[in-house]
Amino acid sequence: MATVQICEAEKVYIMHGVRDDLRIDGRACDDYRHMEVETDVVSNTDGSARVKMGDTDILVGIKAEMGRPRPLIPDEGYLEFFVDCSANATPEFEGRGGEELGSEISSTLYKMFQNRSSLDLRALCIVPREHCWVLYVDVLLLQCDGNLLDATSIAVKAALFSTRIPKVHVSEDDEGGKELEISDDPYDCMRLQVEDVPCIVTLSKIGHRHVVDATLQEAACSMASLIIAVTHKGNVTCVRKVGGGSLDPESIFEMTETGKRVGKALHAPLMKLLQEEEVLGKRRQKVGFLG
Amino acid sequence: MPVDTRRVRAPEESQCPLLFVPLLPRGPLRTVAQPEKARVDGRQRSQVDVRPVFARCGLVTQAKGSAYMEAGKTKVLCAVYGPRESERKDDTDMKAGRLVCDFRYAPFSCPKRGTWIQGSEERDAAQALQEALRPGLCLHRYPRAQVEVNVLVLEHDGSVLAHAVTCASMALVDAGVEMYDLVLGCALRQDGDSYLLDPTLAEESGGHATQPEDNQGGVTVALLPSLGQVSGLHADGELRDESVSAAVRACMEGCHRLYPVVRRALVYAARRKAAPPGDSLET
Amino acid sequence: MAAGFKTAEPLEYHRSFLKENCRPDGRELGEFRATTLNIGSISTADGSALVKIGNTTVICGIKAELATPPTDAPNKGYIVPNVDLPPLCSSRFRPGPPGEQAQAASQFIADLIDSANIIQREDLCIESGKLSWVLYCDIMCLDYDGNLLDACVIALLAALENAQLPEVTINKETELAEVNPQKLHPLNVTKHPVGSSFAVFDNTIVIVDPTAEEESLSTATITVVTDEDERLCALHKPGGSGLSAEKLQDCISRAVTRHREVRKLIEEVLKSIKPQQ
Repeated sequence: MATVQICEAEKVYIMHGVRDDLRIDGRACDDYRHMEVETDVVSNTDGSARVKMGDTDILVGIKAEMGRPRPLIPDEGYLEFFVDCSANATPEFEGRGGEELGSEISSTLYKMFQNRSSLDLRALCIVPREHCWVLYVDVLLLQCDGNLLDATSIAVKAALFSTRIPKVHVSEDDEGGKELEISDDPYDCMRLQVEDVPCIVTLSKIGHRHVVDATLQEAACSMASLIIAVTHKGNVTCVRKVGGGSLDPESIFEMTETGKRVGKALHAPLMKLLQEEEVLGKRRQKVGFLG
Repeated sequence: MPVDTRRVRAPEESQCPLLFVPLLPRGPLRTVAQPEKARVDGRQRSQVDVRPVFARCGLVTQAKGSAYMEAGKTKVLCAVYGPRESERKDDTDMKAGRLVCDFRYAPFSCPKRGTWIQGSEERDAAQALQEALRPGLCLHRYPRAQVEVNVLVLEHDGSVLAHAVTCASMALVDAGVEMYDLVLGCALRQDGDSYLLDPTLAEESGGHATQPEDNQGGVTVALLPSLGQVSGLHADGELRDESVSAAVRACMEGCHRLYPVVRRALVYAARRKAAPPGDSLET
Repeated sequence: MAAGFKTAEPLEYHRSFLKENCRPDGRELGEFRATTLNIGSISTADGSALVKIGNTTVICGIKAELATPPTDAPNKGYIVPNVDLPPLCSSRFRPGPPGEQAQAASQFIADLIDSANIIQREDLCIESGKLSWVLYCDIMCLDYDGNLLDACVIALLAALENAQLPEVTINKETELAEVNPQKLHPLNVTKHPVGSSFAVFDNTIVIVDPTAEEESLSTATITVVTDEDERLCALHKPGGSGLSAEKLQDCISRAVTRHREVRKLIEEVLKSIKPQQ
């Protein structure tokens, strides 16, 4: 993980601030940093999004490809995640340095979608047992400034929102064989229901309190964090304790409570933002990477 | 696909016979379990009803410490090596030792045969095991060294991660690694409004669900019993938020049920080690 | 004092025992360690066995899967043995791909299955050219204290004798295989080879069933495998010092008596678990 070294005095300063609900950048404990979301940023993907949260910068691209359904679940398509920790983000990721972090993030993403309601995978099935859509979700970390998981999950949700999958018409020929015809009309496409896609809220325990969206400096003061994936209804699809410390049960209950509240509050504005952006259509002003 | 020259050649593709079993009727035709009824193995729903546990230390003679645990049909073996010189020279920590965890399923341990190469599920479990155990260890006592924990699942019948945590902490004690507290694990399967503690594999995969669409998920908790701290928490599926807290409470209760059994096994092992040679020991 | 001597001069320590015709663990030169067997304890495997020779512990689990038969032999199935020496069983093994010793052991077991004819590959064919069984025999060492090969052979044999495969029929209409997990059939194990391992000290003294320490101090090791007809199935002598023909003959005759002992043990254990099924 990209980390920073800070001295004891700085730690004490941050911890005292958190105790008084005033963090070094002026936020309260439950506040996120300023966030920027932009969809349709990469033209040769089927769906993409870029999320900036403080200085954390993440790009997600989604490619839909046709594949075979998994033998045990023949009537569903599936998602594949790959997280690339670019050496641009931090020199620590050079060579194979980012691999461990990448696989950690992707395994959390897999778990987050491993239930019936996050995404309707049956909609991705074309012909049971034979053909289905496979969504390859590629996450690229461009810059790390703490709280990668939350930003990644928001970017994945935004990218899934913008994903357009061409419609496929299945026709049967005389011998009972199936023929697939992919619609070449770019507007004849399928959208995904992303309403229920969860977002991750990472809560870092600092002193006796916990904070949302910790910066790298704050993360260095925290011994243990709780990752909670929350849907817009407030259901929890994934919980993980990470870090070398332990938590007392009471603070776990408080943290899940906060996680649920913050997570629920995150979904509505995000959906609104995505819909507003879409309504703008071509008129919207592209910010791109240098914006 | 590259040929694996280090192993005996296997056919390129082979399928598990379970895939060819004529399908049982699915959906509404399947009998739905009754919430008030007992579980398949006779245990009660929504009760802290764990499977009987067999635990024993010191079975792997070559290791510094080891433990073997059986809960129902789940069988887990753990061996601890070290503390020895850290292998990763690049990030040797001058102040504290490293805890290295390896987690493997034996190829024959699951209903479907596993592969020889470590899969992502095993890597995740190893990671979870490491996170759960680390708060219990006094790693600052072993600067520049590493403690290796190897877990092998011989048979998987549910709650594997939880039992792996307990088994590994017993092995660490057996190895004489300094610890703040034991680490005990307990798993739970939430099924609608009821829960199943220490679920079997069939229960874990939702085979006996009462409300298949609602509030289904698995929770695993690792607890430091005498400090009352939770060192590991893992939840998957889709849970209502109040279920999460209730599940954590139930799992903590389950850990406390396990505590006397584990303690007895450790005391027995310690006595046997201390006993003068030739002195037989009664349990 | 003895402990210091053992650590500082392990070879001299062993020699001083061998001079008196005994070994540090109290055994005679030709004595095997206590061998115990537990069959069928892994219910997820189609057949399984756990073998302990002294401290050395080996478990074998058999998993059967379905595949198309090899193109060059459409009426045969596959047997795929694999010996795994995980880092759990001894500090000498590292995680990752199989090391030299594991590879050699896997190959030894594979060759033995072929040469001793333990199972006829034709018996594993369900329909010629279409479908046959693949028997994955995964042998894992849980505690490594020497004499790996003997333990592996016993575990493999006992697990194969314990294995039960479900009945497979091919549906005439759909031409698809149908598996009936209720109807199980045992495998036809035609030959029952058993191995005996020896270590040679100082090029002359032969001891049976060496521990890990004895193995590393010895100048050569030999494994002799014989079957129930007292025929020699395999002889494995990977390098090391030479051995006189006379000594080798002694080894073979010791292997024959060992075969009878182990055979009796396997049969007793198999009989003891029968009534429960």
